[in-house]
Amino acid sequence: MTDSKYFTTTKKGEIFELKSELNSEKKEKKREAVKKVIASMTVGKDVSALFPDVVNCMQTDNLELKKLVYLYLMNYAKSQPDMAIMAVNTFVKDCEDPNPLIRALAVRTMGCIRVDKITEYLCEPLRKCLKDEDPYVRKTAAVCVAKLHDINASLVEDQGFLDQLKELLSDSNPMVVANAVAALSEINEASSSGVPLVEMNTQTINKLLTALNECTEWGQVFILDSISNYSPKDEREAQSICERITPRLAHANAAVVLSAVKVLMKLMEMMAPDADFVVNLSKKLAPPLVTLLSSEPEVQYVALRNINLIVQKRPDILKNEMKVFFVKYNDPIYVKLEKLDIMIRLANQSNIAQVLSELKEYATEVDVDFVRKAVRAIGRCAIKVEPSAERCVSTLLDLIQTKVNYVVQEAIVVIKDIFRKYPNRYESIISTLCENLDTLDEPEARGSMIWIIGEYAERIDNADELLESFLEGFQDESTQVQLQLLTAIVKLFLKRPADTQELVQQVLTLATQDSDNPDLRDRGFIYWRLLSTDPAAAREVVLADKPLISEETDLLEPSLLDELVCHIASLASVYHKPPSAFVEGRGLGSSRRALPTRSGSQDILESSPSHGERSGVIPTQESLIGDLLTMDLGGPPVPSSVPAAPFASSGLDLLSGGLDGLLSDSPSVPPPQAAPAPSVGLLGDIFGLAPSASTSYVAPKQMWLPAARGKGLEITGTFSRRNGQIQMEMTMTNRAMQPMMQFAVQLNKNSFGLVPAAPLHVVSPLAPNQSYEAVLPLNPTGPVQRMEPLTNLQVAIKNNIDVFYFAVVMPMNIFFAEDGQMDKRVFLSTWKDIPAANEVQYTINNVNLSADAVSSKMQQNNVFTIAKRNVEGQDMLYQSLKLVNGIWILSELKMQPGNPTLILAVKTRAPDVSAGVNTAFDAILHS
Amino acid sequence: MGGLLSYFRSLIGSREMRILILGLDGAGKTTILYRLQVGEVVTTIPTIGFNVEQVTYKNLKFQVWDLGGQTSIRPYWRCYYSNTDAIIYVVDSVDKDRIGISKQELVSMLEEEELKGAILAVLANKQDMDGAMSVAEVHQALGLDLLRNRTFQIFKTSAIKGEGLDQAMDWLSNALQSRK
Repeated sequence: MTDSKYFTTTKKGEIFELKSELNSEKKEKKREAVKKVIASMTVGKDVSALFPDVVNCMQTDNLELKKLVYLYLMNYAKSQPDMAIMAVNTFVKDCEDPNPLIRALAVRTMGCIRVDKITEYLCEPLRKCLKDEDPYVRKTAAVCVAKLHDINASLVEDQGFLDQLKELLSDSNPMVVANAVAALSEINEASSSGVPLVEMNTQTINKLLTALNECTEWGQVFILDSISNYSPKDEREAQSICERITPRLAHANAAVVLSAVKVLMKLMEMMAPDADFVVNLSKKLAPPLVTLLSSEPEVQYVALRNINLIVQKRPDILKNEMKVFFVKYNDPIYVKLEKLDIMIRLANQSNIAQVLSELKEYATEVDVDFVRKAVRAIGRCAIKVEPSAERCVSTLLDLIQTKVNYVVQEAIVVIKDIFRKYPNRYESIISTLCENLDTLDEPEARGSMIWIIGEYAERIDNADELLESFLEGFQDESTQVQLQLLTAIVKLFLKRPADTQELVQQVLTLATQDSDNPDLRDRGFIYWRLLSTDPAAAREVVLADKPLISEETDLLEPSLLDELVCHIASLASVYHKPPSAFVEGRGLGSSRRALPTRSGSQDILESSPSHGERSGVIPTQESLIGDLLTMDLGGPPVPSSVPAAPFASSGLDLLSGGLDGLLSDSPSVPPPQAAPAPSVGLLGDIFGLAPSASTSYVAPKQMWLPAARGKGLEITGTFSRRNGQIQMEMTMTNRAMQPMMQFAVQLNKNSFGLVPAAPLHVVSPLAPNQSYEAVLPLNPTGPVQRMEPLTNLQVAIKNNIDVFYFAVVMPMNIFFAEDGQMDKRVFLSTWKDIPAANEVQYTINNVNLSADAVSSKMQQNNVFTIAKRNVEGQDMLYQSLKLVNGIWILSELKMQPGNPTLILAVKTRAPDVSAGVNTAFDAILHS
Repeated sequence: MGGLLSYFRSLIGSREMRILILGLDGAGKTTILYRLQVGEVVTTIPTIGFNVEQVTYKNLKFQVWDLGGQTSIRPYWRCYYSNTDAIIYVVDSVDKDRIGISKQELVSMLEEEELKGAILAVLANKQDMDGAMSVAEVHQALGLDLLRNRTFQIFKTSAIKGEGLDQAMDWLSNALQSRK
């Protein structure tokens, strides 16, 4: 017998058995078989080979069997994408089943089958289920839309599911509303552009608020989350939303409470901080937060992390609740540490005594981490609450007396900070500190102690001995200690040069020759060079006054804090990190959430997208470089200054005959109508050529440099032309935690030769969170270089932190010169002279102004109406303007009364500027 | 006596007969299925997948599978071949352009080993419409002349009007029973 028997087994295997059982005619046997299949699947056996047989069991009136088959489908549809199509018809049928449970089951399973090939077939059944009479089916279908969006976003948009989902927001059943909201927010977050696909408005928010009270708790969380993404249009709306949400604070579910807190925190930003409403609301916020602290430790921790943010943003809310943050003996360590953190944030003059006695108590506990943090907290209290500094220091001294190693070390680290905060007040304790020199074994504590010795070397008689003792083990110290030691000995040398020369020589040698740490070596060389070339300079450098340390060094950056407040009740608020930092795939797509603001500064955000739109309006044309340059140097192609008198004498009405009428130089023709009303401001302004105190259109400020890119410096700005002076107007805000100074500005060469006419003046220092309105006058007298687009301007702003570069697009109208009035004859000849190819037409929409109003509005911006004509009910305005570099631009504005769309034809010898002129016209007319 | 005989017969034949309804898309398979099951015309959409229903005809129970006829689904017909007693092959008599494709599908299906013993009923459907091919034409076009070793019959039907279905089912049930 050969070994072939091993390959010809009579046993067909488990799969085969299951297969025949699945095809059995007996229903019970079939059901058993499907159960066996599911069991195998659950334990991880691959039963995907049975796909067709299982799918064939799908059409059954047995709900149990159907559920099992659906379960199988969800698991294996992906591995059998082609075969999955056989299931489609059953889904379609099940979605029309009289039993709502089956309809919902079908639509839910459909959403879980992530097979591209069959999604399109599932749209119709889904559409039906979204309109189902049963709320359970509708709510399941709502969730299914979000799932489908994840598989194929464009399909969902094309099929109009988003609109259907939006309609569900006003569903009569609150559960449906909640699920629709959840689906919508999921879709919005996934939107690749970062722009929400579905915007909330007042009506939808109202519907949500109505559904809020009747929802399950998770439904409430979804609704609250999506309300928190909505920006009310004004303060009143915000107030009314607040009022309707406030009752949620009493909910038993912590997630609901925190979500409600988030919404309220966000909306309060829109209101004046001292308004009664805000004060009352703040009072209402405290009790629910306190209540959260009586739940189990895990929930407490989450609550505490959130409270940490709230306390930083609005310290007032919990200012009277200090006691609830006192640590209980049986709190888990993570709760203890977090409570400690909040205690310090809440500490103030009135409660400091209580806090200190608590902290002193904590410092005698057994948990090392906790004790350390408690000692550190005492130091932070000293720095934060000045009147208590004395007591804090004596408490620390008491603790040092305990001689507990880690307590002493921690105390020394914080005392160093206290010394820096209150110079010349507590140095008397140095001797006590020196007694504990030997116990210090941690780098930070040793570093701190060495710093103290160096800083106060003149008061410590044996400073040289102490430092020398450290020097013995120089090589074994950590870098931190080595650096401190180097600096401290140099300080000592500068203070007592006579007897420490040897010591300094020694440390410099150690640092520069025996060390391979580049930082240490560099610092050593710098000191050495300083000391050898100019000891006076060395003294100035090394013993310079140190800046004061700030009160709380562990505060979150304000911009980060604001973002985190928007994420209260989410993981981000527990991590204290923005979601983009720990959720993959949330990079560019998801927009960062920002707190609403009170003033009009929202316009900045809204108008900023147009920035990108405007750039690139002007097409690249190499030839223009020459054009611009010759025009600039060779003077304007037409006479620039136009005597006003002849124009006035010839009368406006001449122009009514059309452009050709300009030529018929007959002042005797009687005016068919009275001279234009003064309201036009034309004649009057011709004589006073430059309108007095004229302020031309100034675009709203745009975000030029976001704080994230400017290392905390935020610049919003715009350009203006005031009294013939081009200005760059900037609001500079310091969003960092340190003051900024030494501001300067530089502009790159640009198309119009703009250069600063004066140095940039910014108040110095610009304190954290302070804003300054800087105005920089500009002259068009600098070197010219064509930019792309033409109105692009590259700006460099420097401060003590860094140099920041950004590019902005200038509105063309700041270059409209005051002497842009052209003689009508010259106008006509020029108009004819310029080849028709140079004429560019634009349409300007939504202008509801009369011709006269347009004319006067343009006049204020140095666009001068030369003639006005009425042809077949259309008003035609012929206008001229001159750019500061001498380019003349002629234009014709066609408007029909009652029609908000204007036709603008621009004619100039340098057609590249036309687009910019159009943009400027558009902006002026909409101003 | 005859009643007693049919009683026994029904005992023996209590096994459900498995019938497949096949044919190109749009031939009227789903309409025929529901005409047989509920006796009325239901509005149908293209079957992406399958329908399966219990049909009782003259005390005989059939499990009727109606498989979608789209090109993408035809490859999966074979998953349903095993244990099949009879095939109802539906042809759209008006669709002269695709009768060739219909023939190919039929021929390749009949070559399948699993369908060796299956009885075939061809329905020349949509006879109610103008320009429909006659039974003889369909017979010719499908090449049924060459069919050997197969119990088969062709019927002219109109699923919409319900004509011809009864004859087909009569023949089918008789053929299935006499096969025993």
